Amino acid sequence: MAIKFERVSFQYKGIDNKGYLALSDVNLQIDKEGEFITLIGETGSGKSTLAQHMNALIQPTEGRISLFGLKIDSTTKKKKKIKLNPIRKKVGLVFQFPEYQLFEETVEKDIMFGPKNFGMSTEDAKRKAEEMIEVVGLHKDYLSRSPFNLSGGEKKRVSIAGILAMEPDILILDEPTSGLDPLGRNALLEVFHRIHTTLNKTVIIITHDMNTVYQYAKRVLVMREGVLVYDGDPLKLFSRGNIDKWNLDVPDILSLTRDLETSFNITLSPPPRTRQDLFKALEEALS
Amino acid sequence: MKNVVIGRYIPGHSFLYHLDPRTKIMALLILMAAAFVVDDIMHLLIGLALVIGVLLIGKISIKRVYLGLRPLMFLLIFTFVFQVLFNRQGPVLYEETLYYSPITIGLVVLTVVFWGFTKKFIRFRLLYFLLMLFTILAILSLIQEPLTFRTGAFVVHEDGLRLAFFIMVRLIIIVTLSTILTITTKPTDLNLGLEQILKPLKLVRINAEEVAMIISISLRYIPTLLDEANKIMLAQASRGVDFEEGKLKEKVVQIVSLLVPMFIISFKRSDELANAMEARSFVPGQPRTRLHVLKWKLNDSIIIVFSLTILITTIMARVLI
Repeated sequence: MAIKFERVSFQYKGIDNKGYLALSDVNLQIDKEGEFITLIGETGSGKSTLAQHMNALIQPTEGRISLFGLKIDSTTKKKKKIKLNPIRKKVGLVFQFPEYQLFEETVEKDIMFGPKNFGMSTEDAKRKAEEMIEVVGLHKDYLSRSPFNLSGGEKKRVSIAGILAMEPDILILDEPTSGLDPLGRNALLEVFHRIHTTLNKTVIIITHDMNTVYQYAKRVLVMREGVLVYDGDPLKLFSRGNIDKWNLDVPDILSLTRDLETSFNITLSPPPRTRQDLFKALEEALS
Repeated sequence: MKNVVIGRYIPGHSFLYHLDPRTKIMALLILMAAAFVVDDIMHLLIGLALVIGVLLIGKISIKRVYLGLRPLMFLLIFTFVFQVLFNRQGPVLYEETLYYSPITIGLVVLTVVFWGFTKKFIRFRLLYFLLMLFTILAILSLIQEPLTFRTGAFVVHEDGLRLAFFIMVRLIIIVTLSTILTITTKPTDLNLGLEQILKPLKLVRINAEEVAMIISISLRYIPTLLDEANKIMLAQASRGVDFEEGKLKEKVVQIVSLLVPMFIISFKRSDELANAMEARSFVPGQPRTRLHVLKWKLNDSIIIVFSLTILITTIMARVLI
């Protein structure tokens, strides 16, 4: 297991010293390879906090985490000997807002920043930057531009390229598609899917988009008020009754499938996850 | 970072919260003036006791104020040590001969190096720092041997000690008072209060409203910017920046990686704030009506009279004694 959470709780210290429990008693295991996980839940349910535990940016106030064999608990921060930095190369975390990380003069330098911090040579980092800018769907010309003159979506792509260039084993993305147009969103999701399938890397996506969850995820984690309330198959999740209670809704494809099933009186099995699958299944069922 | 109390409003209920902001600002100024007028240490201590009394009656946790003072601790200790060492006025309280020799100087250097290496592991760093100073003093005064090439004197003068203590208490009083103001007053109320108080400045062509707005927005954004800084640090740590380590060159890059996004975000924020204000028809300098109009109550008068009494008493005490 690459990532293992054992009874992990995390408390933010708030005003008046009243703690705010952002995570409570989370147990979780994530493999280094082959997982495509989406992490969903309302705003403020602890998704981002959970993600930040996964590359040791913050340490639990209770419980233990094991990250690639490195044990982390509430005392870790005080021990100077424990180096947390190498973990951040293994688990790449892309933050929600690219503004928090872009700072170099050119896009190229910014993408090179992460890899160079982890000891990659300048030439290699340059090559990585050229490779990754295209992976995220931007033209090579962008490399010489200033990251501050880009549109929101372009900034987002650059920040993702900056993490991809570090070649992490596990890739975590905090709402990677927010602020993107539908075409750009789908293209980017395909990129993550391709990284997952071709390199067999584990990808974790925090999202509010149920369609993403349904279409791509092999596994879904649902957070609610700091508690991990669901961990398992997306289809089972949406077939259960209490998704309303968790403020989730049914993915478009699934509700369409259900409508079609009732109006044509057919069953599409297994339930199609993409539009193409739906067309195919429908053709078969109706012919 | 979360411990910065200066400039942060903390919700609560006590008479301090219900006072008119104008009262609180004026009382703060009056009491600060009083703290500067006082020249007797006993009186200043009485003042400190009064301030603590206000904290207790106002139900403000002393711990919170202490946390706010902590960033200033270095300044406090520094002024204290400086005063004690270099003030040469008044009768001598304590005198000790210091012997400088290669051995004692070597030991002093060793002590400092040892302190530098071990301070990370000590919880009470300030105490540890004082302990180091004390050790250095002990080494220089106690080890006396033939290689001594020079002798010096460590002299504590009464004035030095008194003044050092004095400045420290005065600083504590002033910072605590201002912390009380910001803890108990919402930024909007503070703005309103400042504006009203600064109104007479119109005579010298200074627009009080704008000044008040600038001040209150700055105060309001201190905690927000700190939160932003924290987020940027996390984002950069994700990209392999280790803010706790690194050589000088790396440190520079680390700071740049923090400051550039900080600037960009601040500018963007102020731009958005300006737009949001204009969207609600804010025009600088235009007369505006208020949703909450300040009302002067009995309590306010009492507080002002009380503060003025203190100021007058201190002036009297200084003039008469």
